[in-house]
Amino acid sequence: MTHHEVEKYRKPIRILHWIHSGAFVLLFLTGLILFIPGLGFLAEDSWTRVIHRIGAAIFIVIPIIYLIINPRSVARGLKLAFTWTKDDIGWLKAAPRYYFLGDEKDMPPQGEMNTGQKMWWFIVVVFGVLFVITGVVMVFAKTTASPAVLQWMVFIHDVSFIVSGAMLFVHIYLGVVHPLMTDAWSAITGGKVSTEYAKKHHAKWYAEVSKGKE
Amino acid sequence: MAEKAILYDATKCTACRGCQVACKQWNENDEAIPTEENGVASKNWGSYENPPDLSPQTWIKMRFTEIEAGGKVRWLFTRQACMHCTDAGCVRVCPNGSLYHHELGFVAYNKDTCTGCGYCIDACPFNIPRSTRNIITGIAKMDKCTFCTTQGLDRIAEGWEPACVKTCPTGALRYGERSTLLREGKARVQALKDMGWVNANLYGENELGGLHVMYVLDDYPEIYGLPASPQISAATIAWKDVIQPVGWAVGGLTIAGLGLNWLVARANVKKEAKK
Ligand code: HEM
Ligand code: SF4
Ligand code: SF4
Repeated sequence: MTHHEVEKYRKPIRILHWIHSGAFVLLFLTGLILFIPGLGFLAEDSWTRVIHRIGAAIFIVIPIIYLIINPRSVARGLKLAFTWTKDDIGWLKAAPRYYFLGDEKDMPPQGEMNTGQKMWWFIVVVFGVLFVITGVVMVFAKTTASPAVLQWMVFIHDVSFIVSGAMLFVHIYLGVVHPLMTDAWSAITGGKVSTEYAKKHHAKWYAEVSKGKE
Repeated sequence: MAEKAILYDATKCTACRGCQVACKQWNENDEAIPTEENGVASKNWGSYENPPDLSPQTWIKMRFTEIEAGGKVRWLFTRQACMHCTDAGCVRVCPNGSLYHHELGFVAYNKDTCTGCGYCIDACPFNIPRSTRNIITGIAKMDKCTFCTTQGLDRIAEGWEPACVKTCPTGALRYGERSTLLREGKARVQALKDMGWVNANLYGENELGGLHVMYVLDDYPEIYGLPASPQISAATIAWKDVIQPVGWAVGGLTIAGLGLNWLVARANVKKEAKK
């Protein structure tokens, strides 16, 4: 059988993904050491704060650059992520059996983004914005905002950290480790997935992109 | 070990500021004139209070308050420095134990390990910690009164009293067993009441689990610029006692759940493959 492939993520998207996720991981790790007392010694003398700020600058600037050069792609992604149909409800119901037992029976066909990916987008967008707002206040209003404001900023920053951090583990796990997600890694590194994978995991999308080709 | 404390008697203080000088001298905080660079400018601002605020180089400062009562002006002096709380907001939020409880009860500080996060500044009910800070890079170091327990400059370990107490000429500052000072402070308050200071009180007996710096005051704490009932802020509790443990649990459960999923899913994939 010859190996057929379809393009899942274009190159600019992949570059965006990796720079942005690199910054996120940097922010995650330099934040984590303030969150776990046993790791706090690593933060001595402020050097991790300098890294946190460099990471933050990248985290903020990269999506803005992308938004400027390709606003339509951003709009399209947001539209996909925030459009929910009954197939998404079906996905939520069938997901546990599928991800644990590999039982596909009740899995509704999925578009370019499946429901899980939509939820991850939602988390990235909402908590990304919260991170930036609370972080920027903690940086620039550190000596001017009231103590109460600054303390609640850390609190919201931490809530965002917990939710998005836990989901980051799930995201990496599904992309890299889960036995059924065979092509997710090649999709975001090389850009392509096999046609079998596309049919199985993103049937609606595959129908669209293969229309007129066969 | 029995807890130690400082007793400050505002009714004996003449605001000579010997304590300020002794503190700077002992702790090598050699800033003679506060400069813009350290965030405190020296200029005439209509008060003998000097410098106008605490700073990373000024750990103790006499606060001057003018009030009018019964047509008479009163000039009040109070000590402004770390109160060495038993339930200390600063210790609760310090991410790596740079601030910690000394075995004698005070809140000691290891400057070498300070991350400069500034969390202690916002968590202190008395607005005491100060830090240097570069807003852009975020590089910062906090400072506050260490009860003369700074490494290398530790007077307490030598069995000496703190520098401020040592120098106080009027006996307004005293150092000793907390229980003894508590008893003596109460006796002094009673004596003041007998002299007609009906609002006289001892500040610090029970505030925040008991302070290790207690004040004899001849009037309400608010008049001296002290919070009547200092509290650990709601944000400190929501952050350190609620969301942080929740975070550890969520993180742990997520990792455990994914591990479990991997074991189950892999077993099923293998089973399918065999069929
Ligand atoms: C995007 C802009 C961001 C900015 C400007 C920012 C800024 C900050 C600042 C100023 C602090 C205060 C602590 C300090 O100064 O040392 C902080 C703490 C922290 N940040 Fe960020 N941050 C950002 C994004 C993120 C992201 C994406 C994550 C994690 C995935 C993160 C995780 C944390 C954590 C865990 C803490 C410690 C909170 C605690 O001590 O409980 N931050 N951040
Ligand atoms: S007065 Fe402030 S700095 Fe001193 S121990 Fe209490 S909370 Fe900490
Ligand atoms: S500024 Fe330093 S002493 Fe204060 S909470 Fe942060 S690490 Fe602890």
